[in-house]
Amino acid sequence: MNKLFFSILILTIPFFFTACDKDDDNNDTTGNIEIEFDNIALENGIQKQLSLVTPGSTEYQYSNALGQTFNINLLRYYITNIKLEGPNGELYEDEVSVNASGTKGIYLVDESDLETGHITLTNVPSGNYNKITFTVGVEENGVQEGAAGGVLDPATCNMFWNWNSGYIAVKFEGQSPVSNGGVSGVETLDVSSANGIAYHVGGWRDMEGTAFVYNNKTLSFDFDTNAKVSGNEQPHVHMVFDVLSLFKGVNDIDFTGNHNVHKPLDGVPIAENIPAAFAFDHIHQ
Amino acid sequence: MKKVILFFSLALNLLSACKRDDVVDEDNTYTLSPPSYFPSVLYPLENNPISKEGFELGKKLFNDPRLSIDNSVACSNCHVKAVAFTDPQHNPSVGVFEQSGTRNAPMIANMAFQSEFLLDGGVSHLDFIPVFAIENKKEMGETISNVVVKLNRTADYPALFKAAFAEIDTITSPYMLKAISQYMLLLISDNAKYDQMLRGEIAFSEEELQGQTIFNEKCATCHAGALFTNHQFINNGLDTTFADIGRALITETNDDLGKFKVPSLRNSMLTAPYMHDGRFKTIREVLDHYRFHVKNSPTLANELHKSGQLGISLTDEEVDNIILFLETLTDYEFIANPKF
Repeated sequence: MNKLFFSILILTIPFFFTACDKDDDNNDTTGNIEIEFDNIALENGIQKQLSLVTPGSTEYQYSNALGQTFNINLLRYYITNIKLEGPNGELYEDEVSVNASGTKGIYLVDESDLETGHITLTNVPSGNYNKITFTVGVEENGVQEGAAGGVLDPATCNMFWNWNSGYIAVKFEGQSPVSNGGVSGVETLDVSSANGIAYHVGGWRDMEGTAFVYNNKTLSFDFDTNAKVSGNEQPHVHMVFDVLSLFKGVNDIDFTGNHNVHKPLDGVPIAENIPAAFAFDHIHQ
Repeated sequence: MKKVILFFSLALNLLSACKRDDVVDEDNTYTLSPPSYFPSVLYPLENNPISKEGFELGKKLFNDPRLSIDNSVACSNCHVKAVAFTDPQHNPSVGVFEQSGTRNAPMIANMAFQSEFLLDGGVSHLDFIPVFAIENKKEMGETISNVVVKLNRTADYPALFKAAFAEIDTITSPYMLKAISQYMLLLISDNAKYDQMLRGEIAFSEEELQGQTIFNEKCATCHAGALFTNHQFINNGLDTTFADIGRALITETNDDLGKFKVPSLRNSMLTAPYMHDGRFKTIREVLDHYRFHVKNSPTLANELHKSGQLGISLTDEEVDNIILFLETLTDYEFIANPKF
């Protein structure tokens, strides 16, 4: 019965949409825009491409603010709730929907698969856009709908906390010679690794009057020029994420300290560094 | 605008057509239909419409030891139907490789009306409970991804998933979790003697009535409403230091040290042992704890140290009558229902 209702509903919906689409096509009122999240290491003002090393490697390419060297096995984070705004009231809010068959509007950027850093938003109303807002981490609208497919599938995303159900916002694993090991719950490292560092930053419950630690960050960036969207113009917005900034800024992270982070409260020092790790870089029109 | 109105009137027509169909639809028994005095359904059913096929698949998964790492432990090992889906044998429950857990297996019943699960409330959605149990090293010790691999390799599951969820050709974890949720959602216990009394079908004895009165006066602040829980997390004075910090694991604040979820008391005469660690074997021991052994600590529930007095004062006769009242909460139909 329900199935019948839904099938008729589903058959009916395209009829209306087609009707609308015809108008849209004539006026060329929508287009696409690509948002690229490019993970970099910013050293002395110079952007360097990240290189992931094989777990266990003792080649250390990077240093934190305390001069402790480290390398990276894994870097992965969620981008959600993308919003674009323009000077003349242009507004596009990327729809978030979550169900067993897949997710929309939730993106998992994984340094081991560079394609994941390229997010194409479609059906964006034509116009000029000069501001982007997004959330790093999966919010209540991604968690409380229940088990989901796509980039939220708990069997494949490797970002789900089963004991405190919700998704890790930013996951980092690597190695530093100053770490005395003892990491647990890690994906790439071996738990016996003598020098592992693991920072799994999460905590999505944003509830007033409760003690829950909320570590997701909603960030806004102005563009230096307008991104012009239309039926035949697909601008490319280049955002960068500086992995070195994860470990400095508000809080200098010491790899001899707590380098095995798996709880919201433990993740706060890194979470507070996240906003300054992202930056708008440039637009290709 | 006209299109919108047309759309909605069409949708409304369809809805009313469906309602008429319902009367003759035998699958209608696979819908959530709790009594009017139950709290509202908190599970987002629109994401997971319950069907006979989905429910049956969930039931099969619930009883399948292949969900554990060595194919030895099913959900039903520690959630036994005959005792309202708790564990009567082991204290605490035993998982894979003969490992003992640290907590008492809670009842699985009336899950649709709750929003925070496990004794510490760490799981915020019914769908995610099996992820915890399957991946917990001391429970089923498996990974969700490997369970999915195993299910896809079986002879029977792919077709059962297809029957329950027409849109899929390969089994994925969210569909497995949705199926188990469909099963758990329909595990509604609402036909105890207490419910029959509420419906006016039977009357309570004098002792049961006295038990109810004293229960309402002394216990119902926490064990409130039709499910006999206020869904809060409290420290009920078992200890002064906490081997298991409970709710504080999730909220990460000392204000919640030693707090655990207030359990429903429906079927409580069946669900021994009691407390988060199963330390009490009988309800009488539980009531004795509240009368004589409540221990003070900074997070102790206010209700248990009113006006400087620790615990709850109860006479022996009141205890007897409370137990008679608790017996009216046992739902024999629930534990005997072949559908479950």
